[in-house]
Amino acid sequence: MRHIAIIGLIISVFSLVSLDAYSFPPNPYQAPDPIAWGSKDGASGALCSFAPTDNSR
Amino acid sequence: MKVLIYILGTIALLALAVFVGVRFALLLAIGIGLGFVLERLGFGFAGPWRRLISERDGRGVIAQCWAIGLTALVIQPLIASSDSLIGAIGPVSLTMALAAFVFGLAMQIVLGCGSGTLVNAGSGNFVALIALPAFCVGSFVGTLALPYAISATPHQPVELANTLGLTGGLLLTLIGLIIIALLAYRYSTDKGVNRKLMIAATWVAILAILHLIVAGQPWGVVYGLGLWGAKIALSIGWDPSLSVFWSAPVNAQSLTSSVLNDTTSLTSMGLMGGAALASFTLMKGQPLLPRVQLWFYCIVILSGLCLGISSRLAFGCNVGALFSGIASGSLHGWIWLITAFMGSILGVRWRDYLWQRAQI
Repeated sequence: MRHIAIIGLIISVFSLVSLDAYSFPPNPYQAPDPIAWGSKDGASGALCSFAPTDNSR
Repeated sequence: MKVLIYILGTIALLALAVFVGVRFALLLAIGIGLGFVLERLGFGFAGPWRRLISERDGRGVIAQCWAIGLTALVIQPLIASSDSLIGAIGPVSLTMALAAFVFGLAMQIVLGCGSGTLVNAGSGNFVALIALPAFCVGSFVGTLALPYAISATPHQPVELANTLGLTGGLLLTLIGLIIIALLAYRYSTDKGVNRKLMIAATWVAILAILHLIVAGQPWGVVYGLGLWGAKIALSIGWDPSLSVFWSAPVNAQSLTSSVLNDTTSLTSMGLMGGAALASFTLMKGQPLLPRVQLWFYCIVILSGLCLGISSRLAFGCNVGALFSGIASGSLHGWIWLITAFMGSILGVRWRDYLWQRAQI
């Protein structure tokens, strides 16, 4: 039965991502360089240790 | 069926590369690799802590130290030498330490940390499938509470490389990890190392290093889960301009972009996908529902909420704070380790108590 739960999860995630991509379509022409290291397109900064600062308020 | 999954996975990666960007396809691939390794080779974070506490088996903790040390050895010099790379440097504070304690406790109740919950959900574990949505809601609630926590207590980021220099910071990181590995070794009744776990740890380190090189930032989990919660809240009328966290430019940008453009979302989806790939054929015929009373699921939902809120207030979970924080040379990773382990000691006892009473 667990493999049915796996299929259910994959379908759910795929549906939610599709819905999100429909609302906010990604633009491949604005994609950053393939690899951040050594490029001008570094990290997005959206990471777990992020803390909003006074400057960002 | 397995061949079909591989074909669909390859098509998804190629489509992502073409329609979103090569970087995002690479990140999904790295996430899938991590999920596959964690599930197939049995590497994790909550489980090894539990085995150390309850069975005096420290081999998983030794493998964790190996993975973090190997990653630190490469990423600290890389981050120091490149303007395009950043570390997982979080602030140290009282609320951060308390939140890590709660996270350590809750992850033993659910038997899954940040990555563990995703991997377990990917392998069709019903408890994780229930905990995951609660984790997302909790992580979102945590983003709303975070500015209040920051204003309530002093928060000070401490980067070891800034304080001690690159060599001093890296040496201190490695010495700290060696001490923990030695303590785990001495405490263990079963001496030695587990070859399979050490191979898994090496793969995790390689993939985590690749993650930094591709994304420009270390591997994380919680940010993506909070973003998913925020996007769902947005769809039902929540106003993000009322939130300090979601008004910050980087987060506002994430909220109005596709999750396919978000680093942590992609690796987290990859974790579930990789775990599904690794476990799909093995899970045929396995029962979906554990034979436990209904109230236990309420505890799981509550624990999932706690995992989400606490990981946001602790500036990361076992991945973003413990693994990537320590590997990046952030002091908050070490504080997280100590307080979360204390929470885990309590959590292991509570889990055993609840589990025994929940059996039907």
